[in-house]
Amino acid sequence: MTTTPDSEHAEQLNMLRESALSFAAKESPLTRARAQRRQTPGFERRFWTALAEQGWTGLLVPETMGGYEQGFAEMAEVVAALATQVAPEPVVPVLVFAGRLLTHAAPSELATRLLTEMAEGRTLPAVAWQEDITGAKDRPGQAATRLERQGDSLLLNGNKRHVRPGAGADGYIVSATDPNGLALVWVPADAAGLVVNSQALADGSYAAELDLNQVRLPASHLMAEGPGAVAALTRAYDETLIMTSVELLALVRSMLSMTQDYLRTRVQFGKPIGSFQSLQHRAVDLLIQQELTASVVTQAVALLDAQDGDATARSAMASRVKSRASDAGLQVAREAVQLHGAIGVTDEYDLGLYLQRALVLATWLGNGTQQRRRYADLTRNATAQEHA
Amino acid sequence: MNTSSTSTSTDWNALDNASFRATLREFFETRFPGEWRYPQRRLRWSEIGPWYLALSKQGWVAPNWPSQYGGMGLSPEKLIIFIEEQERWGVARAPDMGITMVGPLLINHGNEAQRAYYLPRIIAGEHIWCQGYSEPNSGSDLASLRTEAVVDGDDFIVNGQKTWTTLAQDATHIFLLVRTDKSAKKQEGISFLLADMKTPGITVRPIRNIAGSEDFCEVFLENVRVPRTSIVGELNKGWTIAKALLGFERIFLGSPKQSQYALARVQEAAQRLGLFEDTGFVDRYTKLALDVADLGALYGRFIDQVKRGETLGPDVSMLKLFATETYSRLADLLVDVVGASGALPGPIALPGGKTDALTTFYNARPATIYGGSNEVQRNILAASVLKLPS
Repeated sequence: MTTTPDSEHAEQLNMLRESALSFAAKESPLTRARAQRRQTPGFERRFWTALAEQGWTGLLVPETMGGYEQGFAEMAEVVAALATQVAPEPVVPVLVFAGRLLTHAAPSELATRLLTEMAEGRTLPAVAWQEDITGAKDRPGQAATRLERQGDSLLLNGNKRHVRPGAGADGYIVSATDPNGLALVWVPADAAGLVVNSQALADGSYAAELDLNQVRLPASHLMAEGPGAVAALTRAYDETLIMTSVELLALVRSMLSMTQDYLRTRVQFGKPIGSFQSLQHRAVDLLIQQELTASVVTQAVALLDAQDGDATARSAMASRVKSRASDAGLQVAREAVQLHGAIGVTDEYDLGLYLQRALVLATWLGNGTQQRRRYADLTRNATAQEHA
Repeated sequence: MNTSSTSTSTDWNALDNASFRATLREFFETRFPGEWRYPQRRLRWSEIGPWYLALSKQGWVAPNWPSQYGGMGLSPEKLIIFIEEQERWGVARAPDMGITMVGPLLINHGNEAQRAYYLPRIIAGEHIWCQGYSEPNSGSDLASLRTEAVVDGDDFIVNGQKTWTTLAQDATHIFLLVRTDKSAKKQEGISFLLADMKTPGITVRPIRNIAGSEDFCEVFLENVRVPRTSIVGELNKGWTIAKALLGFERIFLGSPKQSQYALARVQEAAQRLGLFEDTGFVDRYTKLALDVADLGALYGRFIDQVKRGETLGPDVSMLKLFATETYSRLADLLVDVVGASGALPGPIALPGGKTDALTTFYNARPATIYGGSNEVQRNILAASVLKLPS
């Protein structure tokens, strides 16, 4: 067999996939996911340390900051394996959203320290940027939260919503408006004037509302400002949409596979119910959604790793894949319940864990409809030119 | 051995992809008759025949055949480029059953005499073939076919009826699936037979479809005497051969091109009607635009498989399903956006240009039926991919 850089990379990914899947299956049985529901913070710091020991908390972090500087393809393997077990740890919110935002923000002593600590598994940063109850009005470049300067210190006032993890974060990268446009500010979880209201989500994990009332911080906590801040937040947001789609795809695969097993084994009217054509055809429609999602996820992850400079193309791809994955996640979840019958609506049966996680991920950062609106806005100019 | 004057010895596969693509593109753009680009119906031989002959003269009429038989001998990768370039320019499909079906059939399963007689005549455009598979009572359940061939001396005597035979009125020859053993299990008593359409006892009756055109026909066979040498492969092995003919070309039933074309028509009409100001419309439009884009991603995955030389599995059926159903939804949207004009056949004069909604709507109807109805494709996926019990 000849080895090319491509086949070598595929081989490495296969090895990582196998090791991540076996780690997740062994260390994170579904009973663990079940036990963490609504138990603040909704995940285990002990398990997070185990992830750090695997090197996975530093997978995307630059080598100069103690990480492994791997690609999104590698990160996707870890993310998918953990999602397959409905592991409750906030891997994508912390390591992708906050981690990438720290990477894209202006280089600073603070960003370096936070990234290093994050890679070591010691610090869990979160991103707090949304303000709208439905998220429909939120744009990465806009914030009603205000940043003022008073001498050498920064003063923050405002409210944030839909922050994940909603409990257990060590601090927040908060977006705010100042005279130079958008600003990104690091707010430690114990800052005076910060109130964190945690709300349990459908899957028993938490999202938070932040109340920022005269929060005073040293000037060194300003991490980015102006167009650079917008670009950093937009890029991290897009990367997070794509990695959330990776999670949703893993949920879809698990739910369809559970449903296939059920259709093969459940007997009614003297036959396995999977022999009934109406149920077969519904299952096939789920298969099609799964494979469509998989095809787009593959393209989207490859686009991130190609490090193409075109930010608009990246945003359009991110919204496109999140739209497909969100809708597929919910469709497969609903249909899986229906194909299972009454057992599918019991809390005892594991399908519910997947459905509840799918609900959280499908809505987080913009559901299918919201992502399609963003896609339409992003591509409108291109469309107009095509027809000019 | 017959050598075709049209064959060239060019080794197309040795050419780099970009130059190959550029060569094709230049030829299609300069030589394909503009009036037949993106036709929304099947073109008759009287319309598209000259293009077939032009391709033949160029040596390009059989891109999929080995060069020793007058084909271009393209590798799967180059063949995909050939088809992509045709689709890109909206090059119409000429009656190509001889090229896509009979050629590969004879090359793989025929005898030397059949190859020597038929292949050069297909290349030359002298023989135009049609496919005699479906029957009035054998559509999705094709293996139940009843057209019968009985041995009589050196001949078969064929009796029965074929239907949905595309462009039989233009064909000079027909390839038939016929029952040669009534006692065997239904798939095991079928043979593959070739016949000249001028043989006494063959009658063709065109069928007018709901769009008003005559794309397909009924073919009646009454005591049709066909020489025994016209059988392809072994007696009673026709079903196996017919299945083996389903090569990777199946992938093209799932090409996103048809949907991309329909999406462009919806976009054009919506712009003329100012619908992009309407959030409700934009939501519906974007959902379909993403279905088309994502179909492209799925299609690309199967195309890559073909390029790597891998055999396609039964999972390729999902491509045909999503492609034709997306196309159908786009056709629905097109009829919907023109509102009260949605029942007007032909081009509708919208402000700023004409839009033809019903032709697309009519076109979408057979798409989910031919090539194995979408319901049959779902049965295949349920059994072969999801491994659900029968």
